[in-house]
Amino acid sequence: MTQSTQSNAQYLNQLVLQIAQQNEQAYLELFESCAGRLKAYAIKCGSNSSDAEDLLQDCMLTVWNKAPQFNPKTASAMTWMYTIVRNRRIDLLRKEKPNLIQSFDLWPDGDLDQTYSDQFSSSQLDDDVEGDLNANLVRILIESLPEEQRQIVYKVYFEGKSHSEIALDLNLPLGTIKSRLRLAMKKLDNLAKEQMTWLIIILLTNF
Amino acid sequence: MANYHPADELLMQFAAGQLTNALGIQTACHLESCKICQQKVHLYEQLGGDLIDISTPAEIAPDAKSKLLNNLHKHQESAVDLTGNHTVKSELETLYTEQLANANQRVPRPLRRFVPDYYDNLPWAGFSKSIQSYDLPFSDDQYTARFYKIAAGKELPQHTHKGNEFTLVMSGSFSDLSGDYHPGDFVLADDSTHHQPKAHDKEDCICFAVMDAPLKMTGFFGRMLNPFIK
Repeated sequence: MTQSTQSNAQYLNQLVLQIAQQNEQAYLELFESCAGRLKAYAIKCGSNSSDAEDLLQDCMLTVWNKAPQFNPKTASAMTWMYTIVRNRRIDLLRKEKPNLIQSFDLWPDGDLDQTYSDQFSSSQLDDDVEGDLNANLVRILIESLPEEQRQIVYKVYFEGKSHSEIALDLNLPLGTIKSRLRLAMKKLDNLAKEQMTWLIIILLTNF
Repeated sequence: MANYHPADELLMQFAAGQLTNALGIQTACHLESCKICQQKVHLYEQLGGDLIDISTPAEIAPDAKSKLLNNLHKHQESAVDLTGNHTVKSELETLYTEQLANANQRVPRPLRRFVPDYYDNLPWAGFSKSIQSYDLPFSDDQYTARFYKIAAGKELPQHTHKGNEFTLVMSGSFSDLSGDYHPGDFVLADDSTHHQPKAHDKEDCICFAVMDAPLKMTGFFGRMLNPFIK
């Protein structure tokens, strides 16, 4: 992991924390540094350029509104923004259709949930779930996956393809797709365990 | 704590925002009470963030930045209410907040908007007292979503599944040859599964089933019943 990716992650975290204090300069800086990549996500998911711009604007406004809920201990700014762009994309596609499943049905939303107290409220979830211990680990893993595995992970994330659709796309047997994805997931799972091990080591050495 | 969990692939699709359907609601219900799967989803969300992080930026419209500030200022003006700084909720958000607050809090949160009353009060339907069903209002072309209620101590006819059937135990418990299933357990049955679920004696077992094809009964009784089961 390079120093620059590490410090870039910290820089983004700082920006969001400043946005929580209504800092417009930080807001502009965050836009400068992330807008192109957020738009790229929308396009990869199938938006045309103008819809992608709309999604980007919508997400940025959501970032402003939700910044006070951002907690760098539970997720890095990039992970947090990923969940925002993922959710806003779903909701914009279903705009004005309250009967359909919305993102907040799937993931608790602090703003909507705070009217009642409940053991499963989002704040409870946030406190219990481990933060991004080392954001770079996942990134290194993704970069180290063989192209064939990475390609399938990309298709799951951006194209929403089922395994059989991916098999058709890549002209490969379904079993091959499944086993490649399973290999990629296994590596991720090991990584998660590794993170836990490091956490324990850090805790032990600190006390 | 649940003993049976969704497959990792499913959790990844969920974290990728690609399960905005009945299967997504079902997965979210399981997650609500399962720390292990919450951790995994969190990891896959981190992966989503990293995929954005390492992607090549798209070109941004030249007026995007001025639009950003315009939007922000417009929003700030409209969002301040008479008392001060509170953001004003959109109509939809107000509706959701009400729907959530008025629902029975014993229902898992992802279902609360769709099943506002507790399970006893649902319009259960079915020709048999041993198994009744209620169609959930969010089925689509891909998945049918339904609650099943198996009466305490009753056993279903042996059946298999054409396609996949995902089952989440909501209350009570049942068992089949492969195991005992309790609230929060997430079970996948497919066309290789021949089973005969039996509800435990003490109470009715309510299951949330998501399936991509209708049930197909295999036993003698089952074959006779099949045309009646939607």
